[in-house]
Amino acid sequence: MSEFDSAGALSKSPPKSLAAFLAAGEERARLWRPEELGAIFRHQMSAPVLMDLGGFDPATAARLKTLSHAQSLLLTSFLDLFLHPVPPVELLTLTKDFAKGNMDHPDASLPNEVAAVLYYVSIAAAYVRLDQRISQLGDAEFQRGLEWSKGKPWVEARLQRLLDEALQKLARHPTPRPLPRAEDKKP
Amino acid sequence: MRAGDMSLDSSASSIFPRTDWAELGAAATADAARLDRLIRLYWTPLRIFLVASFPSLKDQADVLLQEFAEDKILKTGWLQRADRQRGQFRDFLKISLRNFVLDRLSRTEARRPPVSLEELEADLPGPEETAEAFDLTWVRTVLAETLRRMEADCKDPSAEQPRRSRIWEMFRIRLLEPLLHDAPQVPYEQLIATFGLKSPTDASNMLLSAKRIFKAHLTRVIKEYAGQDAATAEEIRALEEFVTRLARKIG
Repeated sequence: MSEFDSAGALSKSPPKSLAAFLAAGEERARLWRPEELGAIFRHQMSAPVLMDLGGFDPATAARLKTLSHAQSLLLTSFLDLFLHPVPPVELLTLTKDFAKGNMDHPDASLPNEVAAVLYYVSIAAAYVRLDQRISQLGDAEFQRGLEWSKGKPWVEARLQRLLDEALQKLARHPTPRPLPRAEDKKP
Repeated sequence: MRAGDMSLDSSASSIFPRTDWAELGAAATADAARLDRLIRLYWTPLRIFLVASFPSLKDQADVLLQEFAEDKILKTGWLQRADRQRGQFRDFLKISLRNFVLDRLSRTEARRPPVSLEELEADLPGPEETAEAFDLTWVRTVLAETLRRMEADCKDPSAEQPRRSRIWEMFRIRLLEPLLHDAPQVPYEQLIATFGLKSPTDASNMLLSAKRIFKAHLTRVIKEYAGQDAATAEEIRALEEFVTRLARKIG
């Protein structure tokens, strides 16, 4: 580990560098650069599910472990989870909640864009593989989110296909609007 | 005291002494050794300000600063006038030193004018530039001390968290080298490999920890001269605004 000559480096640093350094040192400053989002998303997809979701309470963590190994499911990464033909809905729901907790949050550990794609992919996987809607999103909002995620060039091809399938299914089977109740009808 | 000696022994944990406003008053009556340390630690920014204000006096800067220390700072009551209501401690020091030199020059001129006051005034680069030179050195000194302490803290082998040395390395690679040494940004994939990061959360947490440790040390360094928490926060804002403004001005 090399020593950093702080005084030497600072004595030559122009005000612009000092200002940039002080701004970057702020906690609220963006941690990662936009061009790094692809690498971060790939890292997230290859990360062990239990690593990130293991931060829940001990009971949930234990349940996660059981789920990950149940029925010979060997879910080791988020990508495995999303590509599994029958992923456990609880794991998808926890992933969605984990992603949501990282969206638009000042202390979030995931870049907002990565968290948002993770959120929509979780919902898409439950919808396509299990025919379940695990969020309260309406069709229009869900569709917008799927299209927005699909538009990210760093989302890998297999997940792009999953998002496509969700969009097609949504187009084929829109949630029926509830019939207006008699008292709602206008005279 | 050795003029201009900014090197610190291990007992002098700070480039700045405890100079919160309450302690400044106490310092006026404290023992000579402590005051000596105070002056020594403030020497570099003061010298830069003096030379920037009066370039013709460059060769006499150390002598004048020595006299300023003896005639002003070491004199009972002077530090007690460093009233926080009058503004920042940095400004108080600048004004006092400038007035001291002008006063000294006017007396000298009355006896034997080696350099006329008019000449000296014409020599002045302007109060704004000299104040900027002083404040810029101050920011650099504060940051250098902050980083020195942060590195020592993170590399402390007795620390309970073995991850801390890696946190320093992450901070160095990610922020210090690119921003202060113009080093190229290390690709994210390389960071994962270097630090064995298991997920983006792991990576972000490490970087956030580094920023928090940096902020904690920065706050501590500034608090040692700015005093209370509110004054420290205000001083951090003032330093940030100053370098941002200066960066825009210089381009």
